[in-house]
Amino acid sequence: MAVTQDDIVKKGDIKPWKFKLKPVFMGMLTLLVIMATARWYQQWAAWDYGLDATDPLFDEYWMKLFWVQITVLPIIFIVSVSYMWLTRDKHLNNITPREDLNRMIFWISMLIVYAFAFYFAGSLYAEQDATWHQTVVRDTSFTPSHIFLFYGTMPIFIIIGFNLFFYAITRLPFFAKKISIPLIVTVCGPFMLLPTVGYNEWGHAFWLMEEYFTVPLHWGFVFFGWSIIALAGLLIQIMNYLIELMPKVFSEKGELMS
Amino acid sequence: MNKTTVFKKSVLIFLLFIVSTVVYAHGERNQEPFLRMKTLHWYDATWSIKNEAVIQVNDEVILEGKVHFFSRWPQVINKPDVIFLANATPGPVFIREESYLNEVPMIQSTGVELGNVYEYKVKLKARIPGRHHVHPMINVESAGGLVGPGIWVTVEGNADDFVYSVETRTGQTIDNLGTYATGNVYKWHAIWGAIALFWIIWWIRRPLLIERYLMVKDGQWSKLITLTDIKLGASLVVFIIGLLIYANMITKEAHKYTIPLQGGKAEIDKKPNPNEGLVQVKNKKAEYYLPGRTVTIDAEITNNHDLPVHLGEFTSANLRFINHQSAAGLQGVDEGYPSELVADESLIIDDQKPIMPGETRRINIDATDAAWEVERLSSLLNDPDSSYGALLFFYDTNGKRIVSEVYGQILPTFLD
Amino acid sequence: MSLNTNEAKLLSALTTRGSDAAKIARGLDFIVIAILFFAIIAALHIHMMLTVGDWDFWVDWKDRMNWVTLTPMLLIVIPAALSYPFMEKFGLPIAGTLCGLCLLIGVWLSRYFSFHLWTYFPMSMVWPSIVIPGLLLMDLVYLLSRNLFATAIFGGGSVAFAFAPANWPILAPYHVPVIHMDQVVNVADLIGYTFTRTATPEYLRMIERGTLRTFGGESTIISTFFSAFVCMVLFVIWWKIGKWLTHLGRVPNVLKKHVGYDEHDVLEEK
Repeated sequence: MAVTQDDIVKKGDIKPWKFKLKPVFMGMLTLLVIMATARWYQQWAAWDYGLDATDPLFDEYWMKLFWVQITVLPIIFIVSVSYMWLTRDKHLNNITPREDLNRMIFWISMLIVYAFAFYFAGSLYAEQDATWHQTVVRDTSFTPSHIFLFYGTMPIFIIIGFNLFFYAITRLPFFAKKISIPLIVTVCGPFMLLPTVGYNEWGHAFWLMEEYFTVPLHWGFVFFGWSIIALAGLLIQIMNYLIELMPKVFSEKGELMS
Repeated sequence: MNKTTVFKKSVLIFLLFIVSTVVYAHGERNQEPFLRMKTLHWYDATWSIKNEAVIQVNDEVILEGKVHFFSRWPQVINKPDVIFLANATPGPVFIREESYLNEVPMIQSTGVELGNVYEYKVKLKARIPGRHHVHPMINVESAGGLVGPGIWVTVEGNADDFVYSVETRTGQTIDNLGTYATGNVYKWHAIWGAIALFWIIWWIRRPLLIERYLMVKDGQWSKLITLTDIKLGASLVVFIIGLLIYANMITKEAHKYTIPLQGGKAEIDKKPNPNEGLVQVKNKKAEYYLPGRTVTIDAEITNNHDLPVHLGEFTSANLRFINHQSAAGLQGVDEGYPSELVADESLIIDDQKPIMPGETRRINIDATDAAWEVERLSSLLNDPDSSYGALLFFYDTNGKRIVSEVYGQILPTFLD
Repeated sequence: MSLNTNEAKLLSALTTRGSDAAKIARGLDFIVIAILFFAIIAALHIHMMLTVGDWDFWVDWKDRMNWVTLTPMLLIVIPAALSYPFMEKFGLPIAGTLCGLCLLIGVWLSRYFSFHLWTYFPMSMVWPSIVIPGLLLMDLVYLLSRNLFATAIFGGGSVAFAFAPANWPILAPYHVPVIHMDQVVNVADLIGYTFTRTATPEYLRMIERGTLRTFGGESTIISTFFSAFVCMVLFVIWWKIGKWLTHLGRVPNVLKKHVGYDEHDVLEEK
């Protein structure tokens, strides 16, 4: 029979285990609110003001939003990633196995927020782009679907990914000692979306006047979708590390030792 | 231009450089002027309701008129061997009940010949409330949608009241095409989803990751995949195959007669044009003035008809310029025609005298209107092909209309 | 393969029911499930929408040729790749099923919230294909055989063989003939014609247009067989790609000295 947490806690030495899930829920809630607001906005502003890019109201309702996004989001990126680096743990070689495990599990849980952001960028808003362009006559590169997809959800997803990467290399011994290639592919690879967007718009401007969705011009985005397979690789690396780390934290009977 | 605007424009240009695109105008104005002026010319366009009319959900709107496929079609897009007659509305806010080109039904795509005019008719039914722009349109393979003149329509009522029912060849009445057979779709998706979910839960109810990872490492496969798992798996295989067979059997019973998607082509004939060649127009010099509000054309006109003719109208890219000194020209504009597409100012012709039979005369035509700028036709300057096309409508002394093409290079002139 | 002392201790700890280690491991399970759930929806959906999306979006694109042939071939890609880590590392024959379920959640949300609520297309026009039976059979064959080639042939093949039979029950009502404007079309054609799809005209449909010799109307079977053969090959290729991507290692970190490590810190390689 395992020694229970209560017995150990009574000794006063060992903190009981708690999953720190509040940041995850806060992150998901924030994303949900942002995405739901964007979707609500599109429902009316796309039809009333989003069909004609030469209309001054288009500037008012859509281009202003675009400018805000491309100003604010890069700033958030720079500030957050810099913060991660500047507040790095300078003594990672000294952290206890328990602390290592705490941080690792916390970081893994934050991947839920990343995956949730990936859902909006890769699933809902991506297919929504087909909906819009197969329905209305193509306008400029800045359409009601593009403004949220390319200049909203994708930057958000990239910001979260880079922050997770920098958290990992500044606070997790496993990822700091050596850079994990699946980690790069999974969280930084989507950065390659941006040049893909450029290529995509170039093609639409100069060649592709018909609105097929399944065309080679779009296949750069498919390639980015394949990064999910690298997520499996990341998971295996984490597994390998945890099976080394956990015996330093748990006794043979499964109780916390530190 | 103040500093902020300069900055904004620089950033936008920089961004656009990064995303490698060229900013074009709106949907229906999204193509270069040389394309729009040398592809389709829509005329005699009528709508069964007035511009800015208010109608109810389920009301019908009929679009009729003529569409001329310009003979000097741009070489950068495919010839109209594959086209589709459609309506430019914001998606299915209107449904398409019927459509005809030269009285031939246009469910399928078709092909037309250049230099000919075709009569179109599109019957729409209002479905979603809102204020919508309604135009006829022809999609041309490789070029996309080429849009005709449009009117504004406000649809009132409730979208839930929309009905469109259809009778099948097998005698079944479909009450609502929008929800037909969807219950069956949801049912089968739910059944398969439930089976999938069961399989997933079967596995995730047990410890998943670290424990199994170690057991795999240790080669404990009989614990990882138990006999129960195997029996269940084998049963599921049989069940799935059985369910597929059963589902197909009952489907075959329910729908004995089915046909594949119909991918054929609608065949149409061009209508003979008895007026062809009666009045020939040669472009001598054409200019547009920046800021783009004026187009002038110096043209040589030859009257091969046996009656005198005069110029009543000049039209290109859905814009109409009427010669106010031509009664026939003025009569050609219906009262309800969208006024933003008809120039306020007259078409100015330097020599208004009728052109006599057999005569060849050089005349100068001036078409001035802010509409050129609104329609972004002034962006001819940014085009890699500075050419234009237009239709000229001549009228003889009996009021008969003769339609002629004019085309050529168009030169920019800069006014400060 | 066997476990070293620490690993054996850990396994013992984990299998002690109610222990901290078991609880934490179980919590981690659910965290990873949540990650995989959203990530697979996104990845598989974006992959499918840009390779066979047009056929999946519209009822009047679901033909006997391209839809039946291409969908299974593109569908098998990510499930095959994920089969490797799921089965060979965790002994879980659920990669295909999980992918199918996740894909369906993603596509249904999109069709309803985007195609239907935003651009007003009726649900009869935009319902997605059924993909689960074939993918589940693929998992089951892997479970029963635990062999790559058997799974490729019978499991990979199943993804194609099950596709048309799974979808015919929901597609058949839409292939009932209708006479409209004195032309014969089926209900799917009519739906595509009726509900104005402004930028997607009829000629864009990449469907069977009558060039396939149909051998007495068996186009679907021919397409299915072709697709199945390709699926068998693709399963092996992508399983191997999955293996490769699972074993990507690590590279030196030049920034490690800023977090307290120097060249003398050695990390055990796994």
